[in-house]
Amino acid sequence: MTDGRRARYVALFAAESRTLLAGARRALAAWGDAPTERAPADELFRSLHTIKGMAASLEYEGLAELAHLTEDGLVAVRDSGAPPERAWLRELEATLDQLALGCESAAAADGVSSEPAAGEQPARKARVVRVDLDRLDALFEDLGGLVTARQDLERQAERDALSPVARAAQGMARRLDTLQDRILHVRLAPLSEVFERIPPIVRDLARQQGKEVTVRMEGDELEVDRAVLDQLAEPLIHLLRNAVDHGLESPEVRRGLGKRPAGSVVVRARRDRDSVVLELSDDGRGIDRASVAARAVAQGILEEGVALNDDGLLALLARPGFSTATAVTDVSGRGVGLDVVASRLHELGASLQLTTVPGRGTTFVVRLPTRLGIVRALVASIGDERYVMPLTHVAEFLPWEPEAVRQEDGRAVIDLRGEAIPVVDLRRLLLYRGAPSPRRRPALVLEANGQRIALLADAIHGQVDAVVQPMDRPRGMPRWITGATVLDNGRPALLLDLASVV
Amino acid sequence: MAQRVLICDDAIFMRTMIADILTGAGYEVVGEAESGLQAVERYKSLLPDIVTMDIVMPDMGGIDAVKAIIATHPDAKILMCSAMGQQALVVEAIQAGAKDFVVKPFQPARVLEAVQRVLAG
Repeated sequence: MTDGRRARYVALFAAESRTLLAGARRALAAWGDAPTERAPADELFRSLHTIKGMAASLEYEGLAELAHLTEDGLVAVRDSGAPPERAWLRELEATLDQLALGCESAAAADGVSSEPAAGEQPARKARVVRVDLDRLDALFEDLGGLVTARQDLERQAERDALSPVARAAQGMARRLDTLQDRILHVRLAPLSEVFERIPPIVRDLARQQGKEVTVRMEGDELEVDRAVLDQLAEPLIHLLRNAVDHGLESPEVRRGLGKRPAGSVVVRARRDRDSVVLELSDDGRGIDRASVAARAVAQGILEEGVALNDDGLLALLARPGFSTATAVTDVSGRGVGLDVVASRLHELGASLQLTTVPGRGTTFVVRLPTRLGIVRALVASIGDERYVMPLTHVAEFLPWEPEAVRQEDGRAVIDLRGEAIPVVDLRRLLLYRGAPSPRRRPALVLEANGQRIALLADAIHGQVDAVVQPMDRPRGMPRWITGATVLDNGRPALLLDLASVV
Repeated sequence: MAQRVLICDDAIFMRTMIADILTGAGYEVVGEAESGLQAVERYKSLLPDIVTMDIVMPDMGGIDAVKAIIATHPDAKILMCSAMGQQALVVEAIQAGAKDFVVKPFQPARVLEAVQRVLAG
């Protein structure tokens, strides 16, 4: 077998084994629901049989053997005439997970990544071209140049909105919008590519620890940028490892607490305006606030007696090197903690949030950018520094005068239609020490994660399509500065991630 | 003229592998089928010189497909593809009218030998 030919077979194997195992799981569930039916058993048999044949052809001996033994066991039960026992079905589910992991790692060891190879997925009959992401990136950079040129042209055309040049500029702007949308669309890929790998990993992990778990995945049809998707599996799996390892209790402990013996892990994806939001929840013991606080106090990074809210807790857990695991287990330890997860996600332009309730469980919320590269943004300034902020979270803006602000529970708030909204001054946030602020300043009302704040700037300069350059954040730069862009006058500006300011 | 082959297997992986082996030796793959029912239909419309037939397929297995094809085309040349441990089924397929068999995982030389044997016989 030539190398090129083998690579093709391995890619087919990776895609087809995944489809087969997904079908096998559905058949297993159907069999559990209707134990006297024969069709699910037959489908399971065919899947195992085909995986065995493929694995043997690629000389994955261990995998072929496992599929073979499982197939034999299945035939014995199917042909016994008696309905399968629950315990046996659970074992079979575990074996399917093992096979899934085995197929993935065999293909990976053979140099085929676990993403299904586009165009080689048997279920899809669409005509497909595979494109190297670098080529799309190059296309995207050209588009960035065009968007900047367009803004230049539009500014020139503003002088006479009815001139033929202005009309031509408008026509071009519309087409450019469409082109931008299409290019961004090409880069989208469904979350299912990552999601379908998760349940076997989580169940396998729980089994290793003698825990029981049910895994539910929702919203896997939502699409995100390929570059984001490719980097997503690792941090998500890490968060879920933590959930199983540190969050979920053993079945005995759970029974004692009046919980169902099997813990629950739910990954839910939903769309929120321009973003896709992932919620990773477990119903375990929750993060031990007191022990995190004690450790932080011991390390001298937290004052004694300070109450830790969820944000403060996450900030501590995400500090490099901070970990509360008293014993490093085989799973979550490995020296890679929440700090790495948080910084990985931030590099992707994603933000992380945490909610944890003692005895009830923990939820991590990961907000992903759906679209990389170009954001519709508002330009605001402090002194003569300009900043851009994605419009996604800007609800409205209002003029603000110092008299409007009042103190409530030790915080500065302003009243907006009867609701007190906390005020955050961008000057303080950015530690600006230049010229004094003007008396009248605009307040941006920002909305994210169900909360609102009023952000004070010195001035607002209108909207732009900002072409965002990812940035290696220097040490010490706040997390909510997520990128940089060049304004149409050629000046650089920093991009503020407003969701994490709120 | 190249001999015309119909490949029947529910796994695209296996169909690709067999197609590679046969086209590499100058055969022409005129059709593929992924179920027994499809195999019977395709046989009738394509009338290939030889058929490779998997045993385990959805919507009518390979053995029933052999029976259905032989019932209307007694001279059909069918080569069974079986996995290890399916000897009993192979015997049943031969009794139903299949001419020979190869065992997975496929050795290209074995597959070609068997195809030549069936075509010569």
